Amino acid sequence: MHISDGVLPISVTIGCFAATIALTAVGVRKTPAESLPKVAVVTSAFFVSSLIHVPLGPTSVHLLLPGLVGILLGPSAFISIVLGLTLQSLMFQFGGITALGANSIMMGIPALMIGWLFKQLKGSTLKGHAIAGALGGFLGTVLSVGFLAALLYTGGEDFLGVGKIAFIASLPVSIIEAIIAYFTVIFLFKVKPELLK
Amino acid sequence: MIDTAETIYVPFGGLILAAGLLLPIIVIIIRRSLKAARDRKAGHHHRHEHDWSVPVLDACSNLDSVFHRWDPRLKIFSLLVYCFLVAALTQIIWAFCALIFSLAAVKLAKIPFRNTKRRLMAMVGFLGMFLVIMPLTVPTQPGDLLLFFQPVPVPFNVRGFLLAILIILKAFAIALIMEPLLNTAPLPVTIQALRHLRIPDMICQMILLSHRYIFVFLNEANRMYTGMRVRGFRQKTNLATLHTMGNFLGMLFVSSFERTQRVYDAMLSRGYNGTFPVYTNFSARPKDWLFGIFWILLGTGLLFLDRTGTFIIW
Repeated sequence: MHISDGVLPISVTIGCFAATIALTAVGVRKTPAESLPKVAVVTSAFFVSSLIHVPLGPTSVHLLLPGLVGILLGPSAFISIVLGLTLQSLMFQFGGITALGANSIMMGIPALMIGWLFKQLKGSTLKGHAIAGALGGFLGTVLSVGFLAALLYTGGEDFLGVGKIAFIASLPVSIIEAIIAYFTVIFLFKVKPELLK
Repeated sequence: MIDTAETIYVPFGGLILAAGLLLPIIVIIIRRSLKAARDRKAGHHHRHEHDWSVPVLDACSNLDSVFHRWDPRLKIFSLLVYCFLVAALTQIIWAFCALIFSLAAVKLAKIPFRNTKRRLMAMVGFLGMFLVIMPLTVPTQPGDLLLFFQPVPVPFNVRGFLLAILIILKAFAIALIMEPLLNTAPLPVTIQALRHLRIPDMICQMILLSHRYIFVFLNEANRMYTGMRVRGFRQKTNLATLHTMGNFLGMLFVSSFERTQRVYDAMLSRGYNGTFPVYTNFSARPKDWLFGIFWILLGTGLLFLDRTGTFIIW
Protein backbone atom coordinates (compact mmCIF):
# COMPACT_ATOMS: atom_id res chain seq x y z
CA MET A 1 0.00 0.00 0.00
CA HIS A 2 2.06 2.91 -1.26
CA ILE A 3 0.74 6.32 -2.18
CA SER A 4 1.24 7.02 -5.86
CA ASP A 5 1.89 10.33 -7.60
CA GLY A 6 -0.79 12.95 -7.88
CA VAL A 7 -2.94 11.88 -4.95
CA LEU A 8 -1.94 14.23 -2.17
CA PRO A 9 -2.23 18.02 -2.28
CA ILE A 10 1.03 19.60 -3.41
CA SER A 11 1.58 21.41 -0.10
CA VAL A 12 1.37 18.12 1.83
CA THR A 13 3.65 16.44 -0.73
CA ILE A 14 6.33 19.08 -0.28
CA GLY A 15 5.87 19.27 3.49
CA CYS A 16 6.38 15.52 3.80
CA PHE A 17 9.53 15.82 1.69
CA ALA A 18 10.92 18.47 4.00
CA ALA A 19 10.14 16.33 7.06
CA THR A 20 11.71 13.30 5.41
CA ILE A 21 14.90 15.20 4.62
CA ALA A 22 15.12 16.42 8.21
CA LEU A 23 14.53 12.96 9.69
CA THR A 24 17.01 11.41 7.26
CA ALA A 25 19.63 13.95 8.27
CA VAL A 26 19.06 13.05 11.93
CA GLY A 27 19.22 9.36 11.06
CA VAL A 28 22.48 9.79 9.17
CA ARG A 29 24.02 11.52 12.17
CA LYS A 30 22.88 8.74 14.49
CA THR A 31 24.28 6.02 12.24
CA PRO A 32 28.01 5.39 12.60
CA ALA A 33 29.90 4.90 9.33
CA GLU A 34 30.73 1.27 10.02
CA SER A 35 27.08 0.30 10.31
CA LEU A 36 26.17 1.77 6.93
CA PRO A 37 26.62 -1.51 5.08
CA LYS A 38 24.38 -3.10 7.70
CA VAL A 39 21.68 -0.55 6.96
CA ALA A 40 22.10 -1.20 3.25
CA VAL A 41 21.66 -4.90 3.88
CA VAL A 42 18.54 -4.60 5.98
CA THR A 43 17.21 -2.29 3.28
CA SER A 44 17.71 -4.88 0.58
CA ALA A 45 16.45 -7.69 2.79
CA PHE A 46 13.41 -5.55 3.58
CA PHE A 47 12.95 -4.88 -0.12
CA VAL A 48 13.16 -8.58 -0.97
CA SER A 49 10.84 -9.52 1.91
CA SER A 50 8.23 -7.15 0.62
CA LEU A 51 8.13 -9.22 -2.56
CA ILE A 52 7.12 -12.25 -0.51
CA HIS A 53 3.44 -12.99 -0.73
CA VAL A 54 1.62 -14.78 2.04
CA PRO A 55 -1.61 -16.60 1.19
CA LEU A 56 -4.76 -15.23 2.76
CA GLY A 57 -7.81 -17.25 1.81
CA PRO A 58 -8.41 -16.95 -1.92
CA THR A 59 -5.91 -14.13 -2.39
CA SER A 60 -2.44 -13.29 -1.12
CA VAL A 61 -0.97 -10.26 0.55
CA HIS A 62 2.56 -8.96 0.54
CA LEU A 63 4.36 -7.99 3.70
CA LEU A 64 5.15 -4.37 4.62
CA LEU A 65 7.46 -5.06 7.57
CA PRO A 66 7.92 -1.55 8.98
CA GLY A 67 7.82 -3.14 12.45
CA LEU A 68 10.66 -5.58 11.76
CA VAL A 69 12.84 -2.87 10.23
CA GLY A 70 12.36 -0.80 13.38
CA ILE A 71 13.16 -3.78 15.58
CA LEU A 72 16.36 -4.56 13.68
CA LEU A 73 17.71 -1.05 13.11
CA GLY A 74 16.33 1.14 15.90
CA PRO A 75 17.21 4.79 15.25
CA SER A 76 18.64 4.00 11.79
CA ALA A 77 15.34 2.51 10.65
CA PHE A 78 14.17 5.70 8.99
CA ILE A 79 17.08 5.83 6.54
CA SER A 80 16.53 2.21 5.68
CA ILE A 81 12.84 2.83 4.97
CA VAL A 82 13.65 5.89 2.83
CA LEU A 83 16.19 3.92 0.81
CA GLY A 84 13.93 0.91 0.44
CA LEU A 85 11.05 3.07 -0.72
CA THR A 86 13.28 4.99 -3.12
CA LEU A 87 14.38 1.74 -4.73
CA GLN A 88 10.84 0.35 -4.80
CA SER A 89 9.64 3.54 -6.40
CA LEU A 90 12.43 3.65 -8.97
CA MET A 91 12.31 -0.02 -9.88
CA PHE A 92 8.67 -1.01 -9.52
CA GLN A 93 6.73 2.22 -9.38
CA PHE A 94 5.45 1.14 -5.94
CA GLY A 95 4.74 4.64 -4.69
CA GLY A 96 5.47 7.62 -6.88
CA ILE A 97 8.63 9.71 -6.83
CA THR A 98 6.76 12.86 -5.79
CA ALA A 99 5.01 10.87 -3.05
CA LEU A 100 8.31 9.52 -1.74
CA GLY A 101 8.29 11.97 1.18
CA ALA A 102 4.76 11.01 2.19
CA ASN A 103 5.48 7.29 1.90
CA SER A 104 8.65 7.68 3.97
CA ILE A 105 6.75 9.46 6.72
CA MET A 106 3.98 6.92 6.57
CA MET A 107 6.28 3.92 7.07
CA GLY A 108 9.39 5.46 8.61
CA ILE A 109 7.86 7.10 11.66
CA PRO A 110 6.04 3.89 12.69
CA ALA A 111 9.35 2.03 12.22
CA LEU A 112 11.11 4.49 14.54
CA MET A 113 8.31 4.21 17.08
CA ILE A 114 8.36 0.41 16.98
CA GLY A 115 12.14 0.40 17.33
CA TRP A 116 11.83 2.44 20.52
CA LEU A 117 8.88 0.42 21.84
CA PHE A 118 10.62 -2.89 21.20
CA LYS A 119 13.63 -1.74 23.17
CA GLN A 120 11.41 -0.80 26.12
CA LEU A 121 9.35 -3.98 26.13
CA LYS A 122 11.65 -6.81 25.09
CA GLY A 123 13.25 -7.54 28.47
CA SER A 124 15.74 -10.36 28.39
CA THR A 125 13.61 -13.47 27.96
CA LEU A 126 12.52 -15.22 24.80
CA LYS A 127 8.89 -14.70 25.78
CA GLY A 128 9.38 -10.95 26.24
CA HIS A 129 11.10 -10.63 22.89
CA ALA A 130 8.46 -12.67 21.12
CA ILE A 131 5.55 -10.69 22.54
CA ALA A 132 7.27 -7.35 21.88
CA GLY A 133 8.00 -8.56 18.35
CA ALA A 134 4.39 -9.53 17.68
CA LEU A 135 3.18 -6.22 19.07
CA GLY A 136 5.75 -4.41 16.92
CA GLY A 137 4.66 -6.27 13.78
CA PHE A 138 1.01 -5.50 14.48
CA LEU A 139 1.41 -1.87 15.51
CA GLY A 140 3.93 -1.13 12.75
CA THR A 141 1.37 -1.96 10.10
CA VAL A 142 -1.60 -0.42 11.91
CA LEU A 143 0.29 2.83 12.44
CA SER A 144 1.46 2.91 8.83
CA VAL A 145 -2.04 2.55 7.50
CA GLY A 146 -3.22 5.06 10.08
CA PHE A 147 -0.71 7.53 8.66
CA LEU A 148 -1.88 6.63 5.16
CA ALA A 149 -5.48 7.40 6.06
CA ALA A 150 -4.47 10.66 7.76
CA LEU A 151 -2.39 11.74 4.76
CA LEU A 152 -5.22 10.95 2.38
CA TYR A 153 -7.54 12.97 4.59
CA THR A 154 -5.35 16.05 4.03
CA GLY A 155 -6.71 15.96 0.47
CA GLY A 156 -10.13 16.86 1.85
CA GLU A 157 -13.25 15.09 2.98
CA ASP A 158 -13.52 13.44 -0.43
CA PHE A 159 -10.71 11.08 0.49
CA LEU A 160 -12.14 9.99 3.83
CA GLY A 161 -13.96 7.01 2.33
CA VAL A 162 -10.84 5.65 0.64
CA GLY A 163 -8.83 6.11 3.84
CA LYS A 164 -11.38 4.26 5.95
CA ILE A 165 -11.64 1.35 3.55
CA ALA A 166 -7.85 1.06 3.24
CA PHE A 167 -7.62 0.98 7.03
CA ILE A 168 -10.23 -1.75 7.42
CA ALA A 169 -8.80 -3.80 4.54
CA SER A 170 -5.36 -3.73 6.14
CA LEU A 171 -6.42 -5.23 9.48
CA PRO A 172 -6.01 -8.86 8.33
CA VAL A 173 -2.54 -7.91 7.02
CA SER A 174 -1.65 -6.45 10.42
CA ILE A 175 -2.51 -9.74 12.09
CA ILE A 176 -0.40 -11.69 9.61
CA GLU A 177 2.47 -9.24 10.16
CA ALA A 178 2.13 -9.74 13.91
CA ILE A 179 2.35 -13.52 13.61
CA ILE A 180 5.28 -13.38 11.19
CA ALA A 181 7.16 -10.86 13.35
CA TYR A 182 6.52 -13.12 16.37
CA PHE A 183 8.13 -16.12 14.67
CA THR A 184 10.92 -14.10 13.07
CA VAL A 185 11.91 -12.58 16.42
CA ILE A 186 11.86 -16.00 18.10
CA PHE A 187 14.07 -17.34 15.31
CA LEU A 188 16.52 -14.45 15.57
CA PHE A 189 16.60 -14.68 19.38
CA LYS A 190 17.64 -18.32 19.13
CA VAL A 191 20.00 -18.05 16.17
CA LYS A 192 21.62 -14.59 16.30
CA PRO A 193 20.44 -12.65 19.36
CA GLU A 194 22.94 -9.82 18.80
CA LEU A 195 20.77 -8.63 15.88
CA LEU A 196 18.03 -7.74 18.34
CA LYS A 197 20.15 -5.56 20.60
CA MET B 1 -27.31 19.59 0.61
CA ILE B 2 -28.48 16.67 -1.48
CA ASP B 3 -31.42 18.77 -2.68
CA THR B 4 -29.13 21.00 -4.71
CA ALA B 5 -27.33 18.10 -6.36
CA GLU B 6 -28.57 17.03 -9.74
CA THR B 7 -29.83 13.47 -9.80
CA ILE B 8 -30.25 11.20 -12.79
CA TYR B 9 -31.78 7.75 -12.58
CA VAL B 10 -30.30 5.25 -15.01
CA PRO B 11 -32.70 2.34 -15.46
CA PHE B 12 -30.95 -1.03 -15.36
CA GLY B 13 -27.71 0.92 -14.91
CA GLY B 14 -26.81 -1.32 -11.99
CA LEU B 15 -26.81 -4.34 -14.26
CA ILE B 16 -24.68 -2.58 -16.86
CA LEU B 17 -22.26 -1.44 -14.16
CA ALA B 18 -22.08 -4.92 -12.66
CA ALA B 19 -21.39 -6.38 -16.09
CA GLY B 20 -18.68 -3.77 -16.68
CA LEU B 21 -17.03 -4.64 -13.38
CA LEU B 22 -17.40 -8.40 -13.64
CA LEU B 23 -16.19 -8.75 -17.21
CA PRO B 24 -12.54 -7.79 -16.54
CA ILE B 25 -12.51 -9.97 -13.41
CA ILE B 26 -13.79 -12.96 -15.35
CA VAL B 27 -11.25 -12.35 -18.11
CA ILE B 28 -8.43 -12.20 -15.54
CA ILE B 29 -9.60 -15.44 -13.86
CA ILE B 30 -9.81 -17.25 -17.20
CA ARG B 31 -6.38 -16.03 -18.27
CA ARG B 32 -4.88 -17.10 -14.93
CA SER B 33 -6.37 -20.57 -15.05
CA LEU B 34 -5.24 -20.99 -18.67
CA LYS B 35 -1.73 -19.97 -17.65
CA ALA B 36 -1.83 -22.35 -14.68
CA ALA B 37 -2.92 -25.18 -16.94
CA ARG B 38 -0.11 -24.37 -19.37
CA ASP B 39 2.42 -24.28 -16.55
CA ARG B 40 1.17 -27.59 -15.16
CA LYS B 41 1.61 -29.14 -18.55
CA ALA B 42 5.12 -27.75 -18.74
CA GLY B 43 5.81 -29.19 -15.29
CA HIS B 44 6.85 -26.09 -13.35
CA HIS B 45 3.69 -25.16 -11.52
CA HIS B 46 5.41 -23.53 -8.57
CA ARG B 47 6.75 -20.75 -10.77
CA HIS B 48 3.83 -18.40 -10.62
CA GLU B 49 3.28 -18.75 -6.89
CA HIS B 50 6.13 -16.30 -6.45
CA ASP B 51 7.23 -13.73 -8.89
CA TRP B 52 10.82 -13.13 -7.95
CA SER B 53 11.79 -11.26 -11.05
CA VAL B 54 13.17 -7.79 -10.42
CA PRO B 55 13.48 -5.43 -13.35
CA VAL B 56 16.93 -4.07 -14.05
CA LEU B 57 16.75 -0.33 -13.61
CA ASP B 58 19.03 0.74 -16.43
CA ALA B 59 18.42 -1.93 -19.05
CA CYS B 60 17.96 0.60 -21.85
CA SER B 61 20.90 2.82 -20.96
CA ASN B 62 22.92 1.69 -23.97
CA LEU B 63 20.47 3.09 -26.51
CA ASP B 64 20.85 6.50 -28.10
CA SER B 65 18.33 9.33 -27.95
CA VAL B 66 17.94 12.95 -26.91
CA PHE B 67 17.48 11.78 -23.34
CA HIS B 68 20.58 9.55 -23.43
CA ARG B 69 22.75 12.42 -24.67
CA TRP B 70 21.30 14.89 -22.16
CA ASP B 71 23.56 15.86 -19.23
CA PRO B 72 22.27 13.60 -16.39
CA ARG B 73 22.42 16.42 -13.84
CA LEU B 74 20.14 18.67 -15.85
CA LYS B 75 18.00 15.71 -16.85
CA ILE B 76 17.33 14.68 -13.26
CA PHE B 77 16.78 18.19 -12.00
CA SER B 78 14.47 19.44 -14.70
CA LEU B 79 12.43 16.25 -15.01
CA LEU B 80 11.93 16.12 -11.23
CA VAL B 81 10.76 19.73 -11.19
CA TYR B 82 8.45 18.85 -14.05
CA CYS B 83 7.05 15.89 -12.04
CA PHE B 84 6.20 18.12 -9.09
CA LEU B 85 4.54 20.67 -11.37
CA VAL B 86 2.43 17.90 -12.90
CA ALA B 87 1.55 16.59 -9.43
CA ALA B 88 0.11 20.03 -8.62
CA LEU B 89 -2.38 20.00 -11.52
CA THR B 90 -6.08 20.08 -10.62
CA GLN B 91 -7.91 19.83 -13.94
CA ILE B 92 -8.40 16.73 -16.03
CA ILE B 93 -7.70 18.41 -19.36
CA TRP B 94 -4.20 19.55 -18.32
CA ALA B 95 -3.42 16.27 -16.59
CA PHE B 96 -4.37 14.58 -19.84
CA CYS B 97 -1.99 16.90 -21.75
CA ALA B 98 0.76 15.97 -19.28
CA LEU B 99 0.11 12.30 -19.99
CA ILE B 100 0.46 12.96 -23.73
CA PHE B 101 3.79 14.77 -23.14
CA SER B 102 4.99 11.83 -21.03
CA LEU B 103 4.07 9.36 -23.75
CA ALA B 104 5.96 11.51 -26.25
CA ALA B 105 8.99 11.57 -23.95
CA VAL B 106 8.94 7.78 -23.58
CA LYS B 107 8.71 7.42 -27.35
CA LEU B 108 11.52 9.92 -27.84
CA ALA B 109 13.73 8.04 -25.36
CA LYS B 110 13.11 4.80 -27.29
CA ILE B 111 12.02 2.90 -24.20
CA PRO B 112 10.24 -0.34 -25.13
CA PHE B 113 6.54 -0.63 -24.29
CA ARG B 114 7.26 -3.59 -21.96
CA ASN B 115 9.02 -1.33 -19.43
CA THR B 116 6.33 1.31 -19.37
CA LYS B 117 3.59 -1.29 -19.10
CA ARG B 118 5.28 -2.79 -16.06
CA ARG B 119 5.31 0.59 -14.31
CA LEU B 120 1.68 1.28 -15.07
CA MET B 121 0.56 -2.20 -13.98
CA ALA B 122 2.26 -1.72 -10.61
CA MET B 123 -0.11 1.12 -9.81
CA VAL B 124 -3.32 -0.53 -10.97
CA GLY B 125 -4.25 -1.89 -7.53
CA PHE B 126 -3.87 1.38 -5.64
CA LEU B 127 -5.45 3.54 -8.33
CA GLY B 128 -8.21 1.02 -9.03
CA MET B 129 -9.22 1.38 -5.39
CA PHE B 130 -9.75 5.11 -5.96
CA LEU B 131 -11.74 4.52 -9.12
CA VAL B 132 -14.11 2.12 -7.41
CA ILE B 133 -14.41 3.72 -3.98
CA MET B 134 -14.35 7.45 -4.62
CA PRO B 135 -17.55 7.76 -6.72
CA LEU B 136 -19.41 5.93 -3.96
CA THR B 137 -17.93 7.66 -0.92
CA VAL B 138 -17.31 11.34 -1.70
CA PRO B 139 -19.70 13.54 0.28
CA THR B 140 -22.34 15.15 -1.91
CA GLN B 141 -21.81 18.85 -2.54
CA PRO B 142 -24.10 21.39 -4.18
CA GLY B 143 -23.89 21.11 -7.94
CA ASP B 144 -22.79 17.48 -7.91
CA LEU B 145 -24.19 15.13 -10.49
CA LEU B 146 -25.48 11.95 -8.88
CA LEU B 147 -26.26 8.90 -10.94
CA PHE B 148 -28.50 6.19 -9.55
CA PHE B 149 -27.76 3.00 -11.39
CA GLN B 150 -31.01 1.24 -10.59
CA PRO B 151 -31.47 -0.95 -8.64
CA VAL B 152 -28.26 -0.02 -6.74
CA PRO B 153 -29.36 2.24 -3.85
CA VAL B 154 -26.00 4.05 -3.49
CA PRO B 155 -25.58 7.16 -5.63
CA PHE B 156 -22.66 7.23 -8.05
CA ASN B 157 -21.10 10.68 -7.67
CA VAL B 158 -19.66 11.87 -10.97
CA ARG B 159 -17.43 14.39 -9.17
CA GLY B 160 -15.79 11.54 -7.24
CA PHE B 161 -15.33 9.61 -10.45
CA LEU B 162 -13.67 12.57 -12.19
CA LEU B 163 -11.45 13.14 -9.16
CA ALA B 164 -10.27 9.53 -9.41
CA ILE B 165 -9.65 9.96 -13.15
CA LEU B 166 -7.59 13.11 -12.47
CA ILE B 167 -5.45 11.21 -9.96
CA ILE B 168 -4.94 8.33 -12.37
CA LEU B 169 -3.93 10.66 -15.22
CA LYS B 170 -1.39 12.47 -13.04
CA ALA B 171 0.00 9.23 -11.60
CA PHE B 172 0.44 7.74 -15.07
CA ALA B 173 1.97 10.93 -16.47
CA ILE B 174 4.61 11.04 -13.72
CA ALA B 175 5.26 7.30 -13.72
CA LEU B 176 5.94 7.38 -17.45
CA ILE B 177 8.50 10.18 -17.02
CA MET B 178 10.46 7.84 -14.72
CA GLU B 179 11.56 5.78 -17.71
CA PRO B 180 13.30 8.59 -19.64
CA LEU B 181 14.61 9.82 -16.28
CA LEU B 182 16.23 6.60 -15.04
CA ASN B 183 16.50 4.25 -17.94
CA THR B 184 18.62 6.46 -20.19
CA ALA B 185 21.90 6.33 -18.23
CA PRO B 186 23.69 3.56 -16.30
CA LEU B 187 22.72 3.63 -12.62
CA PRO B 188 26.20 4.63 -11.34
CA VAL B 189 26.10 7.65 -13.67
CA THR B 190 22.65 8.62 -12.41
CA ILE B 191 23.86 8.28 -8.82
CA GLN B 192 26.93 10.35 -9.64
CA ALA B 193 24.67 13.05 -11.02
CA LEU B 194 22.61 12.93 -7.81
CA ARG B 195 25.80 13.55 -5.87
CA HIS B 196 26.45 16.64 -7.99
CA LEU B 197 22.97 17.77 -7.05
CA ARG B 198 23.99 17.83 -3.37
CA ILE B 199 22.42 14.54 -2.32
CA PRO B 200 24.65 13.38 0.58
CA ASP B 201 27.43 11.05 -0.43
CA MET B 202 26.34 8.45 2.07
CA ILE B 203 22.83 8.17 0.63
CA CYS B 204 24.26 7.73 -2.87
CA GLN B 205 26.61 4.97 -1.69
CA MET B 206 23.77 3.21 0.05
CA ILE B 207 21.47 3.31 -2.97
CA LEU B 208 24.24 1.68 -5.00
CA LEU B 209 25.02 -0.91 -2.31
CA SER B 210 21.38 -1.77 -1.64
CA HIS B 211 20.64 -2.02 -5.33
CA ARG B 212 23.51 -4.47 -5.64
CA TYR B 213 22.42 -6.52 -2.63
CA ILE B 214 18.82 -6.80 -3.76
CA PHE B 215 19.82 -9.13 -6.55
CA VAL B 216 22.10 -11.13 -4.26
CA PHE B 217 19.38 -11.67 -1.68
CA LEU B 218 16.79 -12.36 -4.27
CA ASN B 219 18.98 -15.19 -5.44
CA GLU B 220 19.44 -16.34 -1.87
CA ALA B 221 15.71 -16.17 -1.12
CA ASN B 222 14.93 -18.04 -4.31
CA ARG B 223 17.41 -20.77 -3.42
CA MET B 224 16.02 -21.12 0.10
CA TYR B 225 12.49 -21.22 -1.20
CA THR B 226 13.32 -23.92 -3.73
CA GLY B 227 14.82 -25.93 -0.87
CA MET B 228 11.63 -25.51 1.14
CA ARG B 229 9.52 -26.63 -1.80
CA VAL B 230 11.68 -29.69 -2.32
CA ARG B 231 11.18 -30.61 1.32
CA GLY B 232 7.43 -30.50 0.81
CA PHE B 233 6.49 -26.95 1.90
CA ARG B 234 3.27 -25.66 0.35
CA GLN B 235 1.76 -22.28 1.17
CA LYS B 236 -1.64 -22.43 2.83
CA THR B 237 -3.64 -20.07 5.00
CA ASN B 238 -2.62 -21.53 8.34
CA LEU B 239 -0.32 -20.97 11.28
CA ALA B 240 2.25 -23.50 10.08
CA THR B 241 2.78 -21.52 6.87
CA LEU B 242 3.25 -18.31 8.83
CA HIS B 243 5.66 -20.06 11.19
CA THR B 244 7.73 -21.26 8.27
CA MET B 245 7.63 -17.86 6.58
CA GLY B 246 8.74 -16.22 9.83
CA ASN B 247 11.73 -18.54 10.05
CA PHE B 248 12.42 -17.97 6.36
CA LEU B 249 12.56 -14.21 6.91
CA GLY B 250 14.74 -14.64 9.99
CA MET B 251 17.14 -16.82 8.05
CA LEU B 252 17.21 -14.30 5.21
CA PHE B 253 18.18 -11.55 7.67
CA VAL B 254 20.82 -13.68 9.40
CA SER B 255 22.50 -14.86 6.23
CA SER B 256 22.42 -11.35 4.76
CA PHE B 257 24.04 -9.86 7.86
CA GLU B 258 26.83 -12.38 7.82
CA ARG B 259 27.33 -11.88 4.14
CA THR B 260 27.63 -8.10 4.43
CA GLN B 261 30.10 -8.37 7.23
CA ARG B 262 32.32 -10.52 5.01
CA VAL B 263 31.86 -8.24 2.00
CA TYR B 264 32.48 -5.11 4.06
CA ASP B 265 35.70 -6.57 5.51
CA ALA B 266 36.78 -7.47 2.00
CA MET B 267 36.00 -3.95 0.81
CA LEU B 268 37.99 -2.43 3.67
CA SER B 269 40.97 -4.63 2.99
CA ARG B 270 40.93 -3.48 -0.63
CA GLY B 271 41.11 0.14 0.44
CA TYR B 272 37.45 1.20 0.63
CA ASN B 273 37.33 4.51 2.50
CA GLY B 274 33.65 5.34 2.24
CA THR B 275 33.63 6.52 -1.35
CA PHE B 276 33.89 4.85 -4.70
CA PRO B 277 36.37 6.30 -7.18
CA VAL B 278 34.64 8.20 -9.95
CA TYR B 279 35.69 8.52 -13.54
CA THR B 280 32.63 10.27 -14.93
CA ASN B 281 32.94 13.89 -15.92
CA PHE B 282 29.82 15.79 -16.76
CA SER B 283 29.71 18.67 -19.16
CA ALA B 284 26.56 20.62 -19.84
CA ARG B 285 26.24 22.05 -23.33
CA PRO B 286 23.89 24.93 -24.14
CA LYS B 287 21.58 22.40 -25.76
CA ASP B 288 21.28 20.56 -22.44
CA TRP B 289 20.34 23.74 -20.63
CA LEU B 290 17.76 24.56 -23.30
CA PHE B 291 16.16 21.13 -23.05
CA GLY B 292 16.03 21.46 -19.27
CA ILE B 293 14.45 24.90 -19.48
CA PHE B 294 11.99 23.53 -22.02
CA TRP B 295 10.69 20.89 -19.59
CA ILE B 296 10.42 23.29 -16.69
CA LEU B 297 8.60 25.82 -18.87
CA LEU B 298 6.31 23.06 -20.11
CA GLY B 299 5.39 22.13 -16.54
CA THR B 300 5.00 25.76 -15.49
CA GLY B 301 2.83 26.42 -18.52
CA LEU B 302 0.56 23.49 -17.68
CA LEU B 303 0.26 24.67 -14.09
CA PHE B 304 -0.43 28.25 -15.19
CA LEU B 305 -3.20 27.13 -17.55
CA ASP B 306 -4.50 24.83 -14.83
CA ARG B 307 -4.88 27.64 -12.33
CA THR B 308 -6.09 30.35 -14.73
CA GLY B 309 -7.72 28.41 -17.55
CA THR B 310 -11.45 28.25 -18.01
CA PHE B 311 -11.71 24.59 -18.94
CA ILE B 312 -13.22 23.64 -15.61
CA ILE B 313 -14.82 20.29 -16.08
CA TRP B 314 -16.79 20.10 -12.85
